[in-house]
Amino acid sequence: MTRVVRTAGLVLALLWLVVPLAPVLVWAGAERWSFPDLLPRDWGVSGWREAASAGLPLALLRSLVLGLAVAAVATPLGVMTGRVLGWRLTGRPRMVVALLLVPLVLPPFAVAMGLDVVLIRVGLHELVSVVLLLSVVAIPYTAYTSATAFARTSPELEAQARALGATPRQARLRVVLPAVRGSILVAALLAFLVGWSDYVVTLLVGGGQLVTAPVLLGAAASGSGNDATVAAMALATVAPPVVLVTVAALRVRGSGRTAPADRLPEPVPDHERMR
Amino acid sequence: MSARPVSLAATALASALLVSACAAPAADSPATSADRPWDEVLAEAEGQTVDLWMYGGDERGNAYVDDVLAPAAADLGVTVRRVPVADTKDAMRRLLAERAAGEDEGSVDLVWVNGDNFATGQEAGAWLCGWSDDLPNMRYVSDEDPLVSEDFGVPVEGCESPWHKAQFTFAYDSARVTDPPATVAGLLDWAEANPGRFTYPAPPDFTGSVFVRQALYALSGGAEGVPAAFDEGAYDELTPALWERLRDLAPALWREGRTHPRDQVALDRLFADGQVDFTMTYGPATLTELVEDGTFAPTTRVLSVEDGTIGNASFLAIPASSPDQAGAMAVADLALSPEQQVAKADPDVWGQFTVLDIALLEDDAAHAFDRLPDSPVVPAYDELSRNAQPELSSSWVTPLDEGWRREVLGRP
Amino acid sequence: MSGAAPGIVAITVVAGTGMAAVVATSVGLMPLYGKPAPSLDGWRSAAPDLVAGIGESLLIALPATVLAALVGFLLAALMLGGGRAASVVRLACLAVLAVPHLVGATSVSLLLSDGGVAARLAAPAGGDGWPALVGGPWPVATVLELAWKESAFVALVVLAAVAPGHRMRMQVAAGLGARPVQRVLRVLVPTAAPAVGAASLVTLVYAIGSYEVAWLLGRAVPEPLPVLAFRLFGSIELTDRPAAAAAAVTGSALALCVAVPALAALPRLRSLSTGGAP
Repeated sequence: MTRVVRTAGLVLALLWLVVPLAPVLVWAGAERWSFPDLLPRDWGVSGWREAASAGLPLALLRSLVLGLAVAAVATPLGVMTGRVLGWRLTGRPRMVVALLLVPLVLPPFAVAMGLDVVLIRVGLHELVSVVLLLSVVAIPYTAYTSATAFARTSPELEAQARALGATPRQARLRVVLPAVRGSILVAALLAFLVGWSDYVVTLLVGGGQLVTAPVLLGAAASGSGNDATVAAMALATVAPPVVLVTVAALRVRGSGRTAPADRLPEPVPDHERMR
Repeated sequence: MSARPVSLAATALASALLVSACAAPAADSPATSADRPWDEVLAEAEGQTVDLWMYGGDERGNAYVDDVLAPAAADLGVTVRRVPVADTKDAMRRLLAERAAGEDEGSVDLVWVNGDNFATGQEAGAWLCGWSDDLPNMRYVSDEDPLVSEDFGVPVEGCESPWHKAQFTFAYDSARVTDPPATVAGLLDWAEANPGRFTYPAPPDFTGSVFVRQALYALSGGAEGVPAAFDEGAYDELTPALWERLRDLAPALWREGRTHPRDQVALDRLFADGQVDFTMTYGPATLTELVEDGTFAPTTRVLSVEDGTIGNASFLAIPASSPDQAGAMAVADLALSPEQQVAKADPDVWGQFTVLDIALLEDDAAHAFDRLPDSPVVPAYDELSRNAQPELSSSWVTPLDEGWRREVLGRP
Repeated sequence: MSGAAPGIVAITVVAGTGMAAVVATSVGLMPLYGKPAPSLDGWRSAAPDLVAGIGESLLIALPATVLAALVGFLLAALMLGGGRAASVVRLACLAVLAVPHLVGATSVSLLLSDGGVAARLAAPAGGDGWPALVGGPWPVATVLELAWKESAFVALVVLAAVAPGHRMRMQVAAGLGARPVQRVLRVLVPTAAPAVGAASLVTLVYAIGSYEVAWLLGRAVPEPLPVLAFRLFGSIELTDRPAAAAAAVTGSALALCVAVPALAALPRLRSLSTGGAP
């Protein structure tokens, strides 16, 4: 490949990846931007002020709590499943893998619709119901991520710790867990993103009462806010996950310098994806 | 543990959840409140917290409840907690589910409703009934007022207390529309003659839905031409002309009628941007503020419609599953008091038209209504509601919305 | 097995209860109010919309998947070239992956809608005005948003699968006299194919089940299945609840119909079930 082609490819790739988000960046700083001006006539923060008065700070806080709660539930459950899968501790790996695929295949809105009817009658609090459902959505990601890590770590590690006198609990918490710590953090990050980003499950099961940042943004974007306010909400919703992922990626890269040049230090797990 | 017991346990747990959800009793007989002295109700209300679920998209409505109604309720010893919902149907789904679960400690104490939401609750037996007639402040409400005794054709029967009246209103920019039409049919003609300058929100949006009913009246020779109660025969007879007219109109609409604004707020935005020349609303009071804060041009005017527009009233209803019924009644009565009604009618507060009959008020209270400032944009209620037409029964609403979706939107 | 149990049980209970309840609702066993009465009325009344909804869902999901796979593969190929460019693109892909679809849809709406940025750019050129990409007769904006975000996902999956040994394979192929085009077509494409397939499948299933993008960027009629289901679910009309559930069941069935045969055919995913080694 010639240099020109490579440069053109790079420019095109970055345009494709960045341009769709550009309007939010520009609009979030616009005070007045009437058609057909190419750039805002006045810059300002009125969109942010209006977003704040519509409850953006509290909504962001709720999203943070939801993300942390989903990570707190889905990470341990996923790591336990991942250990079994990665170390081949089960006689029925096919079944475990198949069940892990279920939340990926079934549309979350369908499961949420059914569960909403049940949970509201059982009388579970909305926040608990939403965390439960989103944790199930996140478990496949946390499980696969940690399964990959366990597969790279020898099961002997746990046996050796036991032989040296550690209790099963100590062996897992003090020896095995630190060995796969990086992947567990990635798993927790993925679970957090599931909780932070979700719109449809929070809206359905939360019954409109759990106003997270995406729920607030959805209401504004579908018609009732002005574009600067919508853009401010969108930017506030998108910045934390993007910063988190970028920082995580840079750190993993930094620690992986010793890996062979053509091998990625941290392979992206097959099912790493966010909604 | 092997896989089989795991799946067995999971299945058992899932079925237990399902059964507990299905087995809930579903009582459909309406609950009736006992007749008792008002003092007793007030005494019981003291210390209760009333969760008032209401549409949260109207900033001034929220401010009125928080800054005017709630402090007055606090003087009665009742705490009002406003629960904003994006759509009243969110509150309905919640209280119907609680009803189906046989819950008597429900989370909804008071709801701002009317129309199909009230009708559905009535059908499900979800409302507390036989209480609103006994509210002390009902003495200022006229017995003869059809807007208050029937809600979209459904008899109120003491199951909700009136809160305010509304009048469907078209507004236009007089700087751009120099020859405003005088009837709804004329408005449709105007739209056809001025391609791209008119549109309406897509039903089942509330405002778009009223517009279609308004057009049905206009094409059927007025409200008298349409039986108030839904009937299949009348639907089949009257709607083909309506759909044909709206289909023919479509190419002359904004964006050739390929898309419609999602709701009234979206239409307002098009109007504010000068993309269309008309907007419409069931809450004309908001026009004053929109002109004042510069969103709408100062040349914005309310269209005077000779054949009249549709009017309705909205209400406060108490779910049978509310644990704070006495408190809810106290708040409903307070909301009906002349002091609260006049404060709420002030265009600077909320600008909602009163449900009280001024002739029944004591002099002081009547004067307070007279002293309300005039809006520079919106005419007074008696002028706005001249020749007002009643709402169709709520059983018309869904067939018309669905018919529009299939016959107009679905067939360009 | 005991370690896997809690996670697996959670999935089974939640997904099992949810699907059982949604099926029960669709046949009238869990009405919004009143007594349960088994009937197929929900299915009957929703039937025309369900057929149109399947069509619309596929009209969105298939082009979005094809586009995401194509662009994702090209992005991966670019990253395999290594160097600073690769790290920049990889970081951009990760960032895009972290963007919630709702934010993406909001931004695409500001970009492609009537008064959007693209229309402003095109305005001086004049012409017949801006085409209705948002809410128009074809789900252009919906497809582009899904393809945009999922292409980053495809790229990262393909990169992870192909990067190990990529340079060596290319050197060997070059040593055997393969020209650059041949190296891409004969070596890179076959090596990447299973990963592209697996990632495309995940994308396709996701696009079938996704709500917010089509809701924000799509037209009112016909609606894809999730939008249809959600709209009917919000209604308090007694007959709409079973119809909403019928749409949800149809959406799930469509996703399963696509996923199950494809899963059986994908060797890469099958290999996971034999132990999960990367």
